[in-house]
Amino acid sequence: MKKYLKHVIFLLLLTWSSPFLLAQKKQPDWSKIYAEQLFHITTVMVTDVASPPVAARIYAYTNLAPYRVLQESGVNFKHADILRQSKIQGQMSPLSLEKVASPEFAAIYAMFLVGEKVMPSGYLLREKQNDWKEWGLKTKIVNTKNLEAHMAFAKSIADQVLASAKTDGYLQLTAMNRYTPVEGPGYWYPTPPAYMSAIEPEWKTMRTFFLQNLNDFAPLPMAAFNMETGSSFQKQTMEVYELGKNLSTEERLIANFWDCNPFKVEFAGHMSIGVKKISPGGHWMGITGIAAQKARLDFTETTYLHALLGMTLHDAFVSCWKAKYDTHRIRPETVINQHIDQSWKPLLQTPPFPEYSSGHSVISSAASVILTAYLGDDFAFTDNSEVYFGLPEREFSSFFQASDEAAISRLYGGIHFRDAIENGVSQGKKIGTSIWENLAK
Amino acid sequence: MSPRSQIRHKTLLTIFLTCLVQLALGQAFSSKFEAVPPKKSNITFKNQLSENDKNNILRYEYFYNGGGVAVGDLDNDGLDDIFFTGNMTDNKLYRNLGGLKFEDITKSAGVAGKSTWTTGVSMADVNGDGLLDIYVCYSGKGAPEKRKNELWINLGKFKFAEQSEEFGIADPSNSTQGLFFDFDIDGDLDLFLLNHHIQVVNAIEFDSARAKRHPYAGDKLYENVDGKFQDISEKAGIKGYSLGFGLAVLAADINQDGWPDLLVTNDYIEPDYLYINNGDGTFSDRLTENFQHISHFSMGADIADINNDGLPDVFTLDMLPEDNQRQKLLYGPENYEQYALMIKQGFHHQNMRNMLQLNQGSGAFSEIGQMAGISNTDWSWSALFFDANNDGTKDLFITNGYYRDYTNRDFLKYKGDYYFKQAIAGEKADTLHLVTSMTSTPVHDYFFENQGDLEFSNRSTEAGFAAKDFSSGAAYADLDNDGDLDLVVSRLNEAAGIFENKSNAGSWLQVELRENSKNRFGVGSKLAAFSKGHTQVLELNPTRGFQSSSTFRLHLGFGEDQQLDSLQVIWPDQSVQTLSKPGLNQLLKIEKEDGLLSYRPVDKSEGLLTKLASSPDFVAGSASYNDFKRQPLMITMPSHLGPVMAKADLDGNGIDELFIGGSKGFPAKIFSYKDLTWAPYRGFRSASEFTDAVALFEDFNGDGKTDLFIGSGGYHDYTSEDESLRDRLFLNDGNGVLVPKPNFPNYRISTGAAVALDFNGDGFLDLFVGARLIPGRYPEIPSSKLLLNDGKGAFTLIEEALPLQGKLGMITSAVAQDLNGDQVKDLVIVGEYLSPKALINQDGRFEDQSERYFPTNTSGWWNSLVQADFDGDGDLDLFAGNFGLNTQLVANPKKSLRLYAADFDQNGSIDPILECFIDDAYYPYASRDELLDQMVGMRSKFTDYASYSKAKLTDLFTPAELSQAQLLEANHLESTYFENTEAGFVPHALPRMAQSFPVYAQLVTDVNGDGNLDVVLGGNQSQSRIRIGKIDAGLGLVLLGDGTGNFSPLSLKESGLAIKGDIKSIVDLKIGDDNILVFGVNQQRVEAYQIR
Repeated sequence: MKKYLKHVIFLLLLTWSSPFLLAQKKQPDWSKIYAEQLFHITTVMVTDVASPPVAARIYAYTNLAPYRVLQESGVNFKHADILRQSKIQGQMSPLSLEKVASPEFAAIYAMFLVGEKVMPSGYLLREKQNDWKEWGLKTKIVNTKNLEAHMAFAKSIADQVLASAKTDGYLQLTAMNRYTPVEGPGYWYPTPPAYMSAIEPEWKTMRTFFLQNLNDFAPLPMAAFNMETGSSFQKQTMEVYELGKNLSTEERLIANFWDCNPFKVEFAGHMSIGVKKISPGGHWMGITGIAAQKARLDFTETTYLHALLGMTLHDAFVSCWKAKYDTHRIRPETVINQHIDQSWKPLLQTPPFPEYSSGHSVISSAASVILTAYLGDDFAFTDNSEVYFGLPEREFSSFFQASDEAAISRLYGGIHFRDAIENGVSQGKKIGTSIWENLAK
Repeated sequence: MSPRSQIRHKTLLTIFLTCLVQLALGQAFSSKFEAVPPKKSNITFKNQLSENDKNNILRYEYFYNGGGVAVGDLDNDGLDDIFFTGNMTDNKLYRNLGGLKFEDITKSAGVAGKSTWTTGVSMADVNGDGLLDIYVCYSGKGAPEKRKNELWINLGKFKFAEQSEEFGIADPSNSTQGLFFDFDIDGDLDLFLLNHHIQVVNAIEFDSARAKRHPYAGDKLYENVDGKFQDISEKAGIKGYSLGFGLAVLAADINQDGWPDLLVTNDYIEPDYLYINNGDGTFSDRLTENFQHISHFSMGADIADINNDGLPDVFTLDMLPEDNQRQKLLYGPENYEQYALMIKQGFHHQNMRNMLQLNQGSGAFSEIGQMAGISNTDWSWSALFFDANNDGTKDLFITNGYYRDYTNRDFLKYKGDYYFKQAIAGEKADTLHLVTSMTSTPVHDYFFENQGDLEFSNRSTEAGFAAKDFSSGAAYADLDNDGDLDLVVSRLNEAAGIFENKSNAGSWLQVELRENSKNRFGVGSKLAAFSKGHTQVLELNPTRGFQSSSTFRLHLGFGEDQQLDSLQVIWPDQSVQTLSKPGLNQLLKIEKEDGLLSYRPVDKSEGLLTKLASSPDFVAGSASYNDFKRQPLMITMPSHLGPVMAKADLDGNGIDELFIGGSKGFPAKIFSYKDLTWAPYRGFRSASEFTDAVALFEDFNGDGKTDLFIGSGGYHDYTSEDESLRDRLFLNDGNGVLVPKPNFPNYRISTGAAVALDFNGDGFLDLFVGARLIPGRYPEIPSSKLLLNDGKGAFTLIEEALPLQGKLGMITSAVAQDLNGDQVKDLVIVGEYLSPKALINQDGRFEDQSERYFPTNTSGWWNSLVQADFDGDGDLDLFAGNFGLNTQLVANPKKSLRLYAADFDQNGSIDPILECFIDDAYYPYASRDELLDQMVGMRSKFTDYASYSKAKLTDLFTPAELSQAQLLEANHLESTYFENTEAGFVPHALPRMAQSFPVYAQLVTDVNGDGNLDVVLGGNQSQSRIRIGKIDAGLGLVLLGDGTGNFSPLSLKESGLAIKGDIKSIVDLKIGDDNILVFGVNQQRVEAYQIR
């Protein structure tokens, strides 16, 4: 009895003092939570081996959902509405949903609902949805009474986002012709060791969020194929070849740090083994999470930044993929094997699509424009997003330092020529700048 | 009797006799084997593997290949003894005590071997002392000196001495097997040593790997020089690349020139080698000239004459499973660029299935493994052809199984996920855990009974091989001397199997040879048995079966026969020893006599047709269109349909001109044949955007001169209503110049067939134009057309005169004849997924009365149709070319091919989903990768291969989706002779050889000049999915008619034909007294043959 009484008193005390206590209690570390939950999406993509452009599309829609939840909840963002100038604005009209107690909870839940549908193995997220509900109840962010309302709210938003995703051209891709390599010298052909077919040759037909005319964002012209000594192309080829033979430890580390190859195939006789990693887009979403935590962004701004970054990555990939399948340029590995050294192998495995421009250069640069514009140019951070792959943490003094390193890493890795990297960087910066500047308009 | 009719009569007689023998034997003899329990036999040997982190599949690629078996009479007591190799265990030697009882005498014989990874074993009398010796091979990852092969010289009384160093064959290669044969016919045994690489060679290193010999992976040829073996590999032309993953070597006189040739099978990308013995101490690899496509991951092999035509046929094993589930777990994405690269780099056409290369003489082989029914036996090791039931044909036994499901596609994915999960969890990945987490699926051995007529029936269960295991090396021998061959099988982690032959068997004969040379046992000799016009041939090459060697006794079965006409031994030096009327059911010991006459190969009799040196200089098409990039789920490419051909005397000089149709980028041309050369005809020009699907020379405007109608077809990159699909009419200006007729009706269909007939009875030739398909929309049915001629060559479209608004089907061929005797021509049309249709002309309107004229269950993938009165009864019979039986696809009234088509995922493209019968039930044909590539929605439905491996069509689609889809069915794939009778057309399947390829071209003519109509067939389909591979068994086939509706095939030797490629058209030209047959071959120059 005594014991029981004690409990009652304690409960009473708790009830009475709860508003006060909550105010005092540390807020959940929302930027960290956001990053952790988003990583569940990333792991499903790894299971499915989502290609780099596909991964960016998934990040765009899964991060758009939390943004829409907050927007629908009437939350104020520091910067201008992402969607106002976007091509999907018409599909994102207000739903006039009844507000819920925790927009944060509904936002993450909506992220899972969208992820479940836009990824083949999205069903794997159902377990995470349950974990999320349990966590919400345990931490009393939601309760058994209002849980359903949160889920319904999330569902309405997720449905709206998914309806929009259905119209972006993705479903039409399988109706288009598969890629046939262009015949002739200097054109791309599948590369060793797996000779995988070209990835997403029609990606340029995908709807972008922000970029109105892809032609405005074409990279500068590339060096024409010419193996005569002294030509720009020949010199660039020799640069990749020589560099590949004399890589310093640091250069190797940089190349591997930014490899981001979702599916590296290793062969052992009849058995091929797929070694999986996160995609370039996944790496930059990781950096976004790290930066948001370092900057102690609240949930609202964390969401804003992730949504904007996801959609920017998607646009950058569409722009880059257009360039790739406009130019059909040969990979260094193929040129070198044909013309210089039959047994030369790049440090990294050549990814299965044409060379120009460098995807990592374009999308990293576009991402770092957004991150810099939002968080500042002298934003130092420690990138630990691939520690579990045995890669060390890496310190960067700014986002541009990171994106420039990501870009040049492709030269060290032996999978890109210098012009694809340098022109890719400027292409990406142009994309990022255009998106950021248009936001404010 | 003229030589021609002699040939014909001989052929017919042979066929008649073969049929008689088969009729007599088919039912009477059946095969049955019974396992002898180890307790009874005392054979307890078990090839036990110990898997641990040092010894496992990830460390040594060939960890689960299994052990070998050798049988032979080691003490000359008349009983074959048995030797087993153990990969990680001691070898075992068992002495045969008779009555299927054995004694383990390994210890006293001292042949247990060493603790190195042990592979193959062969018995051979290496030192020529009349006692069989034993050669054991070693491999594995250890030090080279530890894996030197061992030669156990037989000292008699089961005492052995290891003398490999003394003989010079203590070779430290990674060896699979040694084959002893007398390659230079100098009277002693030489050694071919088959080796394999133990490391993966990456694609990028292929070229450099092929530039040099590898010391341990390269195969070797050792010449026996006075008892000492010398490595002459390089000098003799034996390849020794590190790409060689040799798994089997067999000797046989493949080209019948008296010198032993070699077949070497290679795992992975390196093609097999077909070493033809040049007779001068060297060999030349002539594989690509002889075999048009080969097994990809070739494993075991055997060479034997499976159809008793005296020519050795070649069979190679691979790993394609029989059942749907294992197939679906195994098939990955198809990659046309990688395949093209493989061809470009000289690796030849390779497909993952067993291949039976039927020897047709003169280096011509037709691969018919699928038609023969022996192509899918899972991961297979030993193949042994022998007459199990003594019925006179060789049956087939196959061992198989792989201890871990190593190629399971999910494992590839699972492994990646495992590493990722371990990485995130911060834990180290455990390789052994991965190995042991691979599933293990035992499979049963296969036993096929030879049914004759190029057909084997799977009798595995009935014959006693239902038990599932992992079996590898195997050998046959009459262990109990009861006149039939028993089997010895090595198995992984299980006691070796001794299978006693308890078949209901026919009469038999066994022969042991001895010659007075160092090749005491007469290895390489041939035995030919003649009985009642029936010949059987065997060659004594005991090394066969994976890593194994079989008995030195030659065994033949003779069914009901009780006596032979004669028996011939052709000794290795080609001297012939003949025994007249030897009795059966006995063991004959034949010593080589002195002073024998040499055998001389019979002069190659010349065929009925001789190839002309010249042919028109024109290749009408290229491989540049890959239709699977546009509609990935099609089975074959419709673009590559030509060249079509037609003939007419355009310039009035009495000699026909030859029209050769074009395809996009290659405009059609006409040629004149003058003074043995072909000159371009000037009076015609076609535009290059068209693909010609049919050409008709007729007088369309009644001016007495021949005009030309060209139906445009193709698929290519044409839109569904492409300008380039319009058909064209050219009118002869009277001077032989063909002038395009303007205002020809501008309908756009991809034309498949056309017939000129006067359907409204006004005396002018009108046109029926059959539509083949809609580019990009396969298999939607396009509208066929009727065109009315005003007599001046002006045509108008007649609407509503065809049933179904012309949507009759995907039409490929059509003929006109009066079916109902009303003196008006009706139409017979065939097509893909179509039963032959009879369209009856009723005052210019056509009514479908197919049911009256054609039986049900004749819906086929028909490609061609010709008509003639073959049986001399005054009406026109039909010859209809179909897809044939030589693929994985099966269709009959009980197992139809069903093609469902709809835009299931509503993205604007047609999804053609083929459902077919695989092993036991209906399944989708598409592999998981193919399906997921076609429809995004399927990606979340089948997230792994396992879930798809059991999926049926109802798991892919809802009943509503299926019922709303277009459904096409085919249930008859045999090319067929339709006999015209009072009761309609009666189908008769064409002879078996005509079913081994899709028939696209047929020509009716009298080839042998006997006054009866014959038919020349051509076909093949090389433009098919990678998984299907090249269907190329057809080399031009002549079927001789007897004037009463019976047809018999000529062998290539008899016909003189040997045309490689896809024959799309055949035309006969009469030039002076010469009769010339011209064959239109896809993407090649036409070939011309003159009838003798």
